[in-house]
Amino acid sequence: MVSAIFIIVVGLGAAFALGLLKDSWRNGAFALTMAALAVMSWISISWLGALASGAAQPTDILTAGVQPPFAINLRVGLAEAGLLSVITLTGLLSALYLRDALMQQGRRSMAVLLIAIMALSGIVLTRDIFNLFVFFELMVISTGGLVLLSDDERAIGAGFKYLVVTQVISILLLVGIIFTYHAQGSLNIDDFAAQPLAAKGAGLAFFLLLMALVLELKPFPANGWALDIYESAHPGFSAIFSAASGTAAVYAADKVLATGGAEWLPLATFIGLFTFLASNILALRQDNDRRLLGYSSVAQIGLVLAVIGQRDILGDQFLYIAGGILIAHAVAKAGLFWISGVITRRELTAWTVLRLNPPLVVAFATFLAMLIGLPPFPGFYAKWELAHHLVAEGRVAVLVLILIGALIEAGYLFRWFGLAIKREAPVARPKYAPGKVLVIYAAALLGWYAGYRWGALSQYDNLLQAMPLMVALGFLLIEGLPARIKNVIAIAALCVWFWLSYGSFDPLQMIFGVIFMIGGAVIFLASFHETGRRLGFYPPAMLMYAGLAMLIVAESSFAFFAAWEVLTIGSYFLILRGKKSEPHALSYLMFSLGGAFAILLGFALAAGGTAPLAIADLAQVTGAVAPWVFVLLAIGFMTKTAAIGLHIWLPGAHAEAEADVSPMVSGVLLKAGLYGMFLLLMTMGRQHLFGVDLTYVLLWIGALSALLGNLMAIFQEDAKRLLAYSSIGQMGYALFGLAMMNHLGWLMALMFVINHYVYKSLLFLSVGGVAKRTGTRDMYRMGGLIKLMPLSFIAVLIGIITMSGVPPLSGFGGRWIFYNAIMTADARLPMVLVFLSGPIAFLYLFRLIHTIFLGQLKDEHRQLKDAPFWILLPQMIYVAFLLGFAVLPGMALRRVDAYIGEHFTEQGLSWEGLTITSEFGYWSPVQIMIVIGTIFTLLFLLLLALNHKAQWVKQFNIVYAAERPFRPETTHFAWNFFAPYRRALGFLLAPLVTRFWGAITNALHETAEFTRKLYTGNGQTYAVHVLVFVVVLYLVAGGIS
Amino acid sequence: MITIAMTTGFVLILIGLYGALTNTNILRMIVSFTIASTGVNVVLVSVGYMPGRTAPILDDAVPVGSATTSIIDPIPQALVLTAIVIGLGVTALMLAYAYRLFRIRQTLDISKIVELKW
Amino acid sequence: MSFEWIQIPYALLTLLIVFVYGVFMTTIIRKMGARAGGRYGIRLYQTFVDLAKNYALRSHISHGIMFYLGPVFRLTGGVGLILFVPTIYGSVMHQNFAFAGDLVLALYFVFFGTLGMALGAGESGHPYSAVGITRGLSQMTAAELPFVLAVFAVSLQYQTLSITEIVAAQQGGFLSWTLFTNPIAVVAAMIGFLGTMMRSPFDVFLAPQEIPIGPPTEFHSAYLALMQTNRILFPIAKIVIYMNLFFGGATNWPVFFLKVFLIYLVSALVGVVFPRFRVEQSIRFFLIWGLPLGILSILIV
Repeated sequence: MVSAIFIIVVGLGAAFALGLLKDSWRNGAFALTMAALAVMSWISISWLGALASGAAQPTDILTAGVQPPFAINLRVGLAEAGLLSVITLTGLLSALYLRDALMQQGRRSMAVLLIAIMALSGIVLTRDIFNLFVFFELMVISTGGLVLLSDDERAIGAGFKYLVVTQVISILLLVGIIFTYHAQGSLNIDDFAAQPLAAKGAGLAFFLLLMALVLELKPFPANGWALDIYESAHPGFSAIFSAASGTAAVYAADKVLATGGAEWLPLATFIGLFTFLASNILALRQDNDRRLLGYSSVAQIGLVLAVIGQRDILGDQFLYIAGGILIAHAVAKAGLFWISGVITRRELTAWTVLRLNPPLVVAFATFLAMLIGLPPFPGFYAKWELAHHLVAEGRVAVLVLILIGALIEAGYLFRWFGLAIKREAPVARPKYAPGKVLVIYAAALLGWYAGYRWGALSQYDNLLQAMPLMVALGFLLIEGLPARIKNVIAIAALCVWFWLSYGSFDPLQMIFGVIFMIGGAVIFLASFHETGRRLGFYPPAMLMYAGLAMLIVAESSFAFFAAWEVLTIGSYFLILRGKKSEPHALSYLMFSLGGAFAILLGFALAAGGTAPLAIADLAQVTGAVAPWVFVLLAIGFMTKTAAIGLHIWLPGAHAEAEADVSPMVSGVLLKAGLYGMFLLLMTMGRQHLFGVDLTYVLLWIGALSALLGNLMAIFQEDAKRLLAYSSIGQMGYALFGLAMMNHLGWLMALMFVINHYVYKSLLFLSVGGVAKRTGTRDMYRMGGLIKLMPLSFIAVLIGIITMSGVPPLSGFGGRWIFYNAIMTADARLPMVLVFLSGPIAFLYLFRLIHTIFLGQLKDEHRQLKDAPFWILLPQMIYVAFLLGFAVLPGMALRRVDAYIGEHFTEQGLSWEGLTITSEFGYWSPVQIMIVIGTIFTLLFLLLLALNHKAQWVKQFNIVYAAERPFRPETTHFAWNFFAPYRRALGFLLAPLVTRFWGAITNALHETAEFTRKLYTGNGQTYAVHVLVFVVVLYLVAGGIS
Repeated sequence: MITIAMTTGFVLILIGLYGALTNTNILRMIVSFTIASTGVNVVLVSVGYMPGRTAPILDDAVPVGSATTSIIDPIPQALVLTAIVIGLGVTALMLAYAYRLFRIRQTLDISKIVELKW
Repeated sequence: MSFEWIQIPYALLTLLIVFVYGVFMTTIIRKMGARAGGRYGIRLYQTFVDLAKNYALRSHISHGIMFYLGPVFRLTGGVGLILFVPTIYGSVMHQNFAFAGDLVLALYFVFFGTLGMALGAGESGHPYSAVGITRGLSQMTAAELPFVLAVFAVSLQYQTLSITEIVAAQQGGFLSWTLFTNPIAVVAAMIGFLGTMMRSPFDVFLAPQEIPIGPPTEFHSAYLALMQTNRILFPIAKIVIYMNLFFGGATNWPVFFLKVFLIYLVSALVGVVFPRFRVEQSIRFFLIWGLPLGILSILIV
């Protein structure tokens, strides 16, 4: 093992050697630089490997042959080795990235770069505070030099501001150091730990020292200088400034804080959280990519500082958590800065150019996911552990603030991603320097590798070894294949996975498993319609299905949460594919991530610090915390089922999605929320908060969703939006059934799960097929399509009969179980709403079939053919299933009925013979079908006998006030179809919920707009910020102690 | 003696900071920062000073054996030397910046270099 | 309860009796309406004549398959509804096909004919058909509400969803009728009843029939005959449900005839007295007057 001091030796030596080279010999100089950085990286990584595997022990390196404190000593432990690897690798890759700029500027710039990396490594290694000061100043000087690499002239101003501020900081640092030395008689950090400074009356000295180091972390609001650098510096350098400098500075702060004792930690927490939240809010208003990344960098480092503030409770997990966040940040931020370097313009929409180079989009998504802490990246594991530790020690407020900040960050980052994916892209594919692109890919790969390592280190199963996830990610590798081949593989994957796992399913899992896997495969049949390569469809779709597959087999809270986030992120990318999906996909993601965070909080509360928690053990959660766990989990699940209040994402997301995606995200995805609700109610049952039975609240939410969802559906002109709103209503029914907390209520909910999957997939496919042919989704632009698209019509007809609950189809079964269920339910008032919403469903269903298929055919549609074969095929499968399920509902429900019976004392249904009997009534699907079928046939024959000569007449052969209208546009009664209803009940549709969420978003944006004026751009103002920051914090900290 | 030195040092720091924050001319700011860092150096030295002792140079006047009782603390002295060197470097860099700024912007007024903000 | 073949002729018998009775009752009610308006009214056999004439007429016109099937759906709904509900309590002959389902089936099967008819009329392409349907459906959603709540109250009261058992519970003197044991529910249900009988003041959705266009004109000849048959059967089928749930049911045909007539008369009386509501007015009416009563009825059960 090479001693770590050689990192400094090599860096310094190579820098001096560069000074001796001939100025014209640039290639050689660059090769020397790269070689030096490679050696430094190699040393760091070999130490990391050795320490991580236990082959080496943490080592102190003595200098000058004397023991500390009489000489400076360096230390390499696991943390140091990890951070050194980050720093040196960032340096190495950035140097490669900066090649052109370095070659142009010559060997001196390369020397400065080497000095910068060397200084950052020194900051990490050293155990002596004065040495720390020296390395810091070296960092400042080299930063000042590297800022000048930029082509942007404004960078010179930024660099000068930076120098001004660092002058102030170094004054603080030196004064702090000397008085610390005065109090301790030593400059060695390890000597401080023995005797906390505050105890010796040197609190102020320590405070100044700490502040100087914290200021290097760019805390809000004393960070204007850093933002200006981020905005104007060369992105290759910004990557170093964010990933490497940030990392080193954080570690310096951590080293010093560790000696100060626990009483300084709240201060760090406060600064960290404040910075994290404020910077994320401010970033909302940014439209310059690099400045936005700057805000995000500042925020992330703030988060790490906040985590450092928790080191007293994190124990031996501290490194895992803080390191996870830090490394995710470093890799992602460096990667994003590097990407920004290949993009010519600075507004966020300029990133659309990435679309011409799909692998770069994958890299972009990878980096964003890492920043947010999505699985399977290190930040995800870190977030999970952090949440549990915080909750275990009662620091829920800290966790909540962190989650809010993370949500805001996800908001602007994914808004950006949406812009990049959806806005108009340039046509000409730009030529990228291969070196730069290579560096970006290397960062992305390192991110995945880090995710793999963190997964392996976690106490849970490594997500990157989970089979469904691997298969889904495997689709990234076969993106080049034609869509149809990928489709075959996708269908096969779903079926095989179901076949492999169904043996271990209980009946509940079985129902959801069939819907998720087999149901998903049926919907994929429609995807055969798409030709070409269909880039970016299969990986997200399979990611969603992987999440769903992992969800139903999840036994621990961790597995459940991971699956939840996987399916969320997959479905987000999937929804985003729609033409006008940009805002809706974002809104979906925001609600889903908010819900996921609620779930995380809920699980953490439930576990009480003893993760992993088995899902079944939710039942053991008692005491004051139990209702809160219930509330949080319920909110999380209800974001997916789009319960009223959390529903505003759904209509747009489902309506704007592609023809075969709508059924996936409606028919399949919504069930994930219901599955969660099932598990929650099964384990936790009735919980009371402030004396209110929470299932009673759910009952109301379900009923309100049912009513308002249906009501909103009837006023939609857009067929897919109509279906989307209808889903809100349908999920409301299911939620209502669950919340009744009785046997039949649950059975009804399951009936809705099955039925809703089938008819909503069916209807979305039919409507999607029609929309494909007609080129519009506005129903009033259609009309009279029955003769041209008979199969689509039959599909819709069967679909709406089922959904409306009219006998003899299976929707009636749901209604029948509902009536039997409410007979024993306690709460009657919310049922009024459900009763009202039932008939309202007729209105929109009739509107759907009438305005599309009946009425007057439009001239431009006279040549249309029925929907494409592959879109019709799954519809016909659904029709066949619905007819079968109508006659034999028992085939699915019997076993589930028995299974639910284990959770309730009351009696379920009796399935004797063909008649289904409950305590109160009976229902015989077969006989109903026979009776109705016979009557219908007889009457039909009668009419045939009477009117057998009837033949189709022309379209306008109607009696219209003795005139014959010849314009279908004016004769097709379709627009504003239920005008009287709007006059009567329209007041119920005031968009209160939309306004509420809109007001929150606006308030955040206005705050950002107002607050960012703080950064005037004047270097002196920034210096004042720094001083005020220190003084105010001193007063605050003094107030605390 | 120590008090006076230390007070002087802090006063210099404050004067320097005041000057750096109130003068909009970049060159004046740089000069102010030099004053402030001189102040810091004075503070550093004053902390290490012990009345009645001699400079920490081991020569004939100060034999090694009695050094611990007859010289002042050498460390702050060493620190000051380092700090002066670094201060020199930073000041040089700032001056180089000032030169480049003036060449591009034809001004040395820092309040006019605000195109990066918000 | 299970199926035996003999039930088929029995059911057909019920159907025949109800049909013949329905023809005369409809005629009488029409006459009464005419007299209240100062006219003489139609002759007693007029409805028979109309039906016979329409069944005899032939048409060459069809607007399409759903158009053709619309009347079939409509009449299936009416006939089915009669057959899914026991007509005469205690009579083996007139239990019809009630074994197939309970009260819930009856409640939802009401919509079968409505839906089919709406589809048929829709395919005619006549805009007034669509107008009438939107109005009718809109009003129905509100009118159903007090009725459904009352039904729920009654099934809670008797703890069953079986119509036969509900009737059984009301035997033993008229004081044990739901009308007297649960008057609020009955009032709520009767308000809903007014809304579904297609009579003034809740008949605005039929208005296209009066200005004689819309569905009845498009549906002529045998189509119209089927629909007219349904107009005779369907109200009775619905009244049978009301009678069974709220008015003690009927143990023999004379009682059946009397009760059905009197219940029908309620809507006829209201109809000749009150002018027509617009749709949004009737929706408000049901929500303001029917809904609170319905809620009250399920709360105090």
